[in-house]
Amino acid sequence: MLIFIIQRLSAIALVVFLSLHMIVVHYPPGHLDFSRVLERLADPLWKAIDIAFLFAVLCHALAGTYAVLTDIERVTPLKRILAGVLIVLGIIGVAYGTYTVLSFQPPASMLAVH
Amino acid sequence: MANRSFQGNSATIRVQRFNPDVDEKAYFDEFSIHLEPGTTILDALREIKSEQDGSLTYRRSCRHAICGSCAMNINGKNMLACNQPLKDHLDRRGRITIRPLPYQPIIKDLVVDRSVFWEQYQRVKPWLIPPQDVPEKEFRMSPEEVEALKDAEKCIMCGACYASCQVIGLNRRYIGPHALLKAFQKILDPRDSVPGERLAEVAGDDGVFRCHTIFNCIDACPKELNPTQAIETLRKLAQKRQAFEAMRRERQKSLIVSTPTRTAEPSGD
Amino acid sequence: MYKSTGFVSFFLRRFTGLVLVLYLGVHMWVIGAATKGAETFNTRLELFESPVLKILEILLLAAVLYHGFDGIRLIIVHYFDVTDYRKSLFYAAFATSALLTIVGGIPLLLYALGMWS
Repeated sequence: MLIFIIQRLSAIALVVFLSLHMIVVHYPPGHLDFSRVLERLADPLWKAIDIAFLFAVLCHALAGTYAVLTDIERVTPLKRILAGVLIVLGIIGVAYGTYTVLSFQPPASMLAVH
Repeated sequence: MANRSFQGNSATIRVQRFNPDVDEKAYFDEFSIHLEPGTTILDALREIKSEQDGSLTYRRSCRHAICGSCAMNINGKNMLACNQPLKDHLDRRGRITIRPLPYQPIIKDLVVDRSVFWEQYQRVKPWLIPPQDVPEKEFRMSPEEVEALKDAEKCIMCGACYASCQVIGLNRRYIGPHALLKAFQKILDPRDSVPGERLAEVAGDDGVFRCHTIFNCIDACPKELNPTQAIETLRKLAQKRQAFEAMRRERQKSLIVSTPTRTAEPSGD
Repeated sequence: MYKSTGFVSFFLRRFTGLVLVLYLGVHMWVIGAATKGAETFNTRLELFESPVLKILEILLLAAVLYHGFDGIRLIIVHYFDVTDYRKSLFYAAFATSALLTIVGGIPLLLYALGMWS
């Protein structure tokens, strides 16, 4: 039941986050590069939104993977190990992703201008 | 889907055969039978067995869609053989393909081993567990409460739904639409005193949360029942289990109280 | 396998889900280059600007849209009794995602063919 609820709640969050992501990041046509991402991520609100987005994605993806794999009869006895592995992957993912988002810092030369 | 374009008066029946004593794998046999206006698929099988090949094996009993014995896979879809006119299922060349119900081991020809099907049914305890205080006369239920159970009561346990569900195909431990529909019937019955236990059983790993709303069960059911909707309702109830249990306790108090214990009763209430 | 629209929806949802999980890994690897500085980030991102990969991006868009709209369909199924229009709902989800894939995919296609900057 818990997996079901996590799936559904993260799915609804993702519909919102993903739409936002598509409009803000991918819709304005043009070349995507570090400086363009930096413009947006300089604002701490965007950093927070991206981290929340990442968390929702990982919840949905890992809960989904768990559901798909445990649907197969052979996998069912291994479900606790699978859950453990996926939770660990989730923690690593959130940690690495947060670290990535926070590393969008302007290079020293740009700071001088501000 | 009826195909009325076939106009001939004989039909070709392709039947899957398998005799575990002599065959290594299943194969198809073809028979030709005389087609009359009222011929059902079961009639065709009977004609083949009595006049052409006595070894053809299939289950049947009432031949009017109430016993649930003759469910099989016709042209890729599960249905009863006894209430389907043969000509509705013939293709343009007058052929029909009959296989046993999928996802279950074959005992012989069109007969499959339904033990897991019945075990899952037992698992949900499809009998009423009344409260300790049983009223002197009858349990009083409102018309709405009776109406909610009507669908599930019509189930003839034919297995068409169970054998059409891909979740069963992936995992034999999934309780299945048939048993979940019966569980629904008992959980919603105000006379039952253990809805919490029942909900806990069906809300586990093998139960209602494994249904992926594929909807094959509704398509296959010869009685046009709706296990998917029952399962959705159970999903909602499972998330509010304690509240539901409390509501049942309250309801049962009024069930007992509302029934008078005096013996002198005006009849035709 | 028992064939039906419900089965197609179920299978595609799972297939696109698994594709997206794999994509997530790649995405996190690419964006993770930011930890190594702007140069590495831009180089890695440029790997994915080649025409072939831009075409693959259209498939990715299709996968995301299909998975999303089928998911929304599931939520509708959860809250409403859709028995009578279960097939139409599936077709609607499929059609909407196909339409939006075309709308969103045209700029990508033009970019891949060098007709967009």
